[in-house]
Amino acid sequence: MTAPTQFPELTPLPGQPVHAPSGPPILKAENITVRFGGVVAVGDISLAVRPGEILGLIGPNGAGKTTLFNALTGFVTPSGGRVTYNGRDITNMQPQARAKLGMARTFQVERPFEDLSVLENVLVAAFLKYRGTKAEDHAYAVLERVGLADRATQPAAQLNLARRRRLELAKVLALEPKVLFLDESIAGLNPPGQQEMVALIRTLAHSGLAIVMVEHIMHVIMSLSDHVICMAFGELLAEGDPHEVAAHPDVIRAYLGDDND
Amino acid sequence: MTATAPSTRSRPRALTFGNVWLSVALVAILFIYPFVFGKAMNFGISTLLFAGFAMSWNILGGWAGQTSLGHAALLGIGAYSMTLLATPERLPPFLTSPLAPWWGALIGMVIAVAVAAVWGWLTFRLQGSYFALSSIAVALVIRLVVINSNWTGGAEGLFMPDLPKFFGFDLFDRETEYWLAFGFVVLTLVITHLIRRSRMGYALQAVREDEDGARALGIDPARMKLLAFMLSAALMALGGSLYALYLQAFEPHTILELPLSIQIALLAIIGGRTTIQGPLVGALVLSIFGEVFRNVFSNANLLIYGVLILLVTLFAPQGIMGLFNRAGSKLGTAR
Ligand SMILES: Nc1ncnc2c1ncn2[C@@H]1O[C@H](COP(=O)(O)OP(=O)(O)OP(=O)(O)O)[C@@H](O)[C@H]1O
Ligand SMILES: [Mg+2]
Repeated sequence: MTAPTQFPELTPLPGQPVHAPSGPPILKAENITVRFGGVVAVGDISLAVRPGEILGLIGPNGAGKTTLFNALTGFVTPSGGRVTYNGRDITNMQPQARAKLGMARTFQVERPFEDLSVLENVLVAAFLKYRGTKAEDHAYAVLERVGLADRATQPAAQLNLARRRRLELAKVLALEPKVLFLDESIAGLNPPGQQEMVALIRTLAHSGLAIVMVEHIMHVIMSLSDHVICMAFGELLAEGDPHEVAAHPDVIRAYLGDDND
Repeated sequence: MTATAPSTRSRPRALTFGNVWLSVALVAILFIYPFVFGKAMNFGISTLLFAGFAMSWNILGGWAGQTSLGHAALLGIGAYSMTLLATPERLPPFLTSPLAPWWGALIGMVIAVAVAAVWGWLTFRLQGSYFALSSIAVALVIRLVVINSNWTGGAEGLFMPDLPKFFGFDLFDRETEYWLAFGFVVLTLVITHLIRRSRMGYALQAVREDEDGARALGIDPARMKLLAFMLSAALMALGGSLYALYLQAFEPHTILELPLSIQIALLAIIGGRTTIQGPLVGALVLSIFGEVFRNVFSNANLLIYGVLILLVTLFAPQGIMGLFNRAGSKLGTAR
């Protein structure tokens, strides 16, 4: 298939980008600004996702992608702008309340509950929608889905990076969300791991989930998404078709500048 | 475990009560104690009461991970409430004699829960060690109020009045008190096992490990900590009522002071705060050590606590139960 001498990051990923059915957006953010002291981490960014759509978010290190996620999921209160979910203003809603509405996020640096087993980690999330042994059954079914069932009893602290990523995904899937925010779930995985993750994300989108994903690896985004937003220094650089965005001069400059460090 | 078993029945379980057999074994020992050491009832009762206090403390300190150094105040609320309301003229007229002191105990639990609700609401905005520090301050305020009020007996404290027989049992009889304290320990143990298997238990552990991680999964950390605190407070007050029975007379400086709060916290921490039976084991081990060494050194308790804190922090951050677990023993598979 592919030449073995290729760099892992250049391994082509099979599959077509997901084209979402048209319809009203489930999540909409208008003119989001986040300031930390004098630093504008996110400046005037707007976005919208529809059910079944994968929205890609790219940009060099420190561009403000994670901060934007934090603003959208309630971990940071934006200094300006508005977030609506199904038309309802949720700008100042707590993260736990957003989770109950159907918004779920992973963390860029995975944060399993280390004292708990893999199954118990997912069980904590499964309790959002289920009670008692139903929650346990649900948690185990999710583990089977992400391929972690054989690790169910292992302490989460013992997992390697790839499995920690999958656990992170299992926890958000156990919430049965409608909108999913993935913060660099793929970078750092080996090629087979990347392919599995990409396939899983594609299935999730086909099942009607709205997905916003941050990813550094351009060809991963291209294989999944038909709409990307590129940020640098908190500002919007380019938006639209991933191939056009990747070819945009400002985007190339931002990434080349990033490569120099 | 046997090899491959495809049926879903054999899949791993997370919803369990924890190591019930270890608890049964410990309770069996406590049950046999009065038949073997009938002469050392004072030691038995105080050990049991402190075991129950440590178990109650641990619902907040261990499960929710919020170190309180003010729990003596909640114990005191139970003790004062029972003693004050045991005086017949303070009872509501519809209450008949056998229930008299328990009315006070119940009121004490209600007051303790209310105090915990306000106290937690005020202090759970503070992270980590700030909660511990603020708990000292809140307990100090409660102590000052008690010392400076007349109806609480001020700095002199209170005497437990004569109590009617409780279904034929003399409440000042050491044997009766032992079984009451035994019931208290069993109650805290059963509640802890129930927490272990519950949604609340998992939410509390998630909050203890990572509040933001818990929030992302729909858990409200402040609410969970408050629930744990209120449950912990109710049990502390109940134990405090029994402690008042046992002491018969007490002063604010024995029952409301910081050293008592610290002692209760240390029993749980040394025993193993992230385990079910840790606080009970800690209380048993430390009481026995204290008793054995009391004749060898004076002030042995202080010395033993000091040495044990050092040993635990250096070699067994998970406490005595953590040592068992690490030794590969199946004893008390924690949580
Ligand atoms: N809590 C905070 N307080 C102050 N500054 C912050 C905080 N969080 C992020 N920043 C700053 O905001 C900017 C954007 O950071 P952010 O983590 O959102 O970038 P990112 O695009 O996710 O980067 P990366 O690709 O490295 O994950 C950075 O300059 C960062 O230092
Ligand atoms: Mg980031």
